[in-house]
Amino acid sequence: MIFPSSLSRLLSYELKKWMATISLSITQRLAYKVNFFLLFLGPMLVFFLVQYNLWHSLFLFREGAPIGGYTRDEMIAYQGWVLVTALLTQGFHSRDLAQDIRLGRISSYLIYPFDFWQYHLGTFLGLQCIQLCIATTAVAALFFTGVFQELSATHLFLGVSVALCAGLLWYLIQYALGLFAFWIEQTWTLRVLFALIASFCSGAIFPLELLPEWAREIVLLSPFPYLTYVPVKTFLGAELDLPLPAPVALTFWSIVVWGCGKLLWNRGMRMYTAAGM
Amino acid sequence: MKNLRTQMQYYGTLYRSFFELCAAEALSFRTHFVLLIVVDLIFYGTMFGTAEVLYHHVEEIGPWNRSQFLFFVAFFLTVDQLHMTLFAMSFWEFSSDLRLGKLDFWLVKPAHILFIVFFRHIRVASLLLAPLVWGALIFSGIQVGLSPLSWCMLPLLVLLSLALLITMEILLSAAMFWTVENDGINFLRMQVQSVGRWPDFIYQYLFQKLFSVFIPILLVTSAPVHYLLQTRGEEVLFFLLAALLGMLFLVSKVWRYALLRYESASS
Amino acid sequence: MDPEITIRCTNLSKNFRVSEKQAGLAGSLSSFFKRTYRSVPAIQSFSFEAQKGEIVGLLGPNGAGKTTLMKMLTGIIVPSSGTAQVLGFSPSERKRAFRRQISLVMGQKSQLWWDIPALDSFHLLGKYYEVEHSQLHHRIQELADLLDVHGLLNTHIRKLSLGERMKMELMASLLHNPRVLFLDEPTIGLDLVAQRNIREFLKFYQEQHQTTILLTSHYMGDVQALAERIVLVLDGEKRFDDSIEHFESFFGGEKYVQLELEAAVDTEDPLWKRYDTVWVENGVRADLRIPTHRFHHALREIFERFPVQNFTTEKLPIERVLTSLLENPRLLEQRGESSLR
Repeated sequence: MIFPSSLSRLLSYELKKWMATISLSITQRLAYKVNFFLLFLGPMLVFFLVQYNLWHSLFLFREGAPIGGYTRDEMIAYQGWVLVTALLTQGFHSRDLAQDIRLGRISSYLIYPFDFWQYHLGTFLGLQCIQLCIATTAVAALFFTGVFQELSATHLFLGVSVALCAGLLWYLIQYALGLFAFWIEQTWTLRVLFALIASFCSGAIFPLELLPEWAREIVLLSPFPYLTYVPVKTFLGAELDLPLPAPVALTFWSIVVWGCGKLLWNRGMRMYTAAGM
Repeated sequence: MKNLRTQMQYYGTLYRSFFELCAAEALSFRTHFVLLIVVDLIFYGTMFGTAEVLYHHVEEIGPWNRSQFLFFVAFFLTVDQLHMTLFAMSFWEFSSDLRLGKLDFWLVKPAHILFIVFFRHIRVASLLLAPLVWGALIFSGIQVGLSPLSWCMLPLLVLLSLALLITMEILLSAAMFWTVENDGINFLRMQVQSVGRWPDFIYQYLFQKLFSVFIPILLVTSAPVHYLLQTRGEEVLFFLLAALLGMLFLVSKVWRYALLRYESASS
Repeated sequence: MDPEITIRCTNLSKNFRVSEKQAGLAGSLSSFFKRTYRSVPAIQSFSFEAQKGEIVGLLGPNGAGKTTLMKMLTGIIVPSSGTAQVLGFSPSERKRAFRRQISLVMGQKSQLWWDIPALDSFHLLGKYYEVEHSQLHHRIQELADLLDVHGLLNTHIRKLSLGERMKMELMASLLHNPRVLFLDEPTIGLDLVAQRNIREFLKFYQEQHQTTILLTSHYMGDVQALAERIVLVLDGEKRFDDSIEHFESFFGGEKYVQLELEAAVDTEDPLWKRYDTVWVENGVRADLRIPTHRFHHALREIFERFPVQNFTTEKLPIERVLTSLLENPRLLEQRGESSLR
């Protein structure tokens, strides 16, 4: 009987560490209100407003004729769900993580009884709590402004589930990109590069149906559509014609990216501990 | 007059020195140097790619057909490339200098503070892309059949656009003196830029007024292109100039006030 | 203004506005919506003068306002009230002619470009201050000789040690031969040898060029080696302003005794309290301050009651004067206005 009780104590200690990390991450994000708005919400809102204006006027110029199989209302709803998906997936930046490495703060994580990846995963989970609240507000707002003309509980539930998995994939990619700080001075170029390709290939600017057939087939083999297009279509309750079912593909890509992160970490650590940078 | 000439010479030699330092610095980080070029190229690719995808499904967007729209994109990218090369880094550096108190060093230097802060960082890697964007601009200009007058005005308008863009951004950056949370202002700047990536006529009334009058980003790219393509008359150039003068006036006022209030990061 | 007076400030004051936040998540949430501010006086009606060629040491604990004062005198921040004059200019106007004649070194910050050799930065600074190329070259050689850094001019700043980097910072600030030099903790974080090198350089340089220097430092050694005059700042107010000799003899009527005991004694004994004892090694080695008129009596009592192994007596070191004053600022009031010029 000793074993389970010490195990439960151990678990409760572990849980406390996670909870503390999560609450610290929430505190940090809310500490600077202007930054919180400008760094995280602003870009998504502006992106949505630009997209809304663009598609609204595109349909206006065509007097409502459908584009790529989308009617005006379907396209606007699509863009609304892109916003909600972005809120649920793109809350995490690997900037702090890269800075931890660059400024040598990583040494303190090697001493703490809480690992580097645990700390950053905890941070991510904390941020997701905030993002979930904001996304809920956004769904309500978009519903009342008529961007979403119908809401179904099933689609909402499925969509949020897929979006949260996509968020994990986004986090894992950001984490791996941040780890490049072991080798290069400034990792923001990698993050911008990723963001550029992701916005173009993930279906954030336009639904992937609008791509020429050959381009769409290539893009669907990459992980990008799972970051936006797939969750958005799930929210819309649309049929998806994917090479693999969404949960399988998301799991597959998450494992691949996680493996890359692990590899980068091991190599980076070997270099870090050997040379002390 | 003589005084003006010595001033020009002073700033000229300073600028040359900035450039030499930036070149020395840039070349010592090879991976970063190459990555910067790749990022820019991908950005150009997505800009043209998005336009191509849209025109795959529609024949016209507002008053512009495909080649007119591509000319707009090329014009936008030309201004953007100059901005990236000559100014973009400075805004980020300014935010960190302010936070770390390094602005103090620039304040005691005997050159104009705006010059030191916003003209100091030149992104040498992006300079290499100049032939590419100017090539695209000229090619798309030929495609739309610009008038001889438009051809003459083209370089001038690129510079005017750039001037309006940076004075507007310097004005926005002055907010960093008050916010402390400086990177947020830089993100705001980038959001404003992203509004300018699309022509003014896709925006609804309220948006159009907001981004033409208060934050005149739509004047930066849309106005000159409208003039060059003759989809609007000379009055757009008047708006552009008026906005530039207004912004210059505000910058001088706001910066003077900001420096009076500057508290400097404690050491 | 008297041409011999380089720096003069009258009733200079500066207030800062700071925001406050309660700790924890609840605090973050509440300050997210409503933030409270208060005004904090950093410098209060500060009056002070420095002659041409004088080296003045600004002393005071962290947060006393030394750096704020320096930033006002260099024109970086604008005073809330009062006037300042440096070289006949009002610093906050930031006239170009003024900026050309001053220089600022901050031990905590670097003005050199991190990723390139110092020499490249020097060339840029030469352009800022319009120093002729040949003159700049000559100047760099001269300073590099004095600081013994010829081999480092082409090394990237980030590869230099702190001491080496500080030498480069000093060089950078002296290229245009400023008439007033503001040094904010120039030796912070340096080892003893590096500190001594910097001090010796500054001393030599100042004697040659008659530069007016305003210096802040936490290391008494800096002030002792360089300054002729000390200004003590406490809570934004000037509390002492006189020659270093006067400062050293602040406790002139007292003797400084170092004791060594054979075995550990009771450190709580009231006797120790009476003489402001500092224990160097608990119960075994102590530093005492004993009034001269009680000297004989006190020593006899100590010898009778405790197993004294060894003792020395000397003038109170300046470091000890400062810590005693910081721990007990009322001593300054007792001395009154006589210590203020």
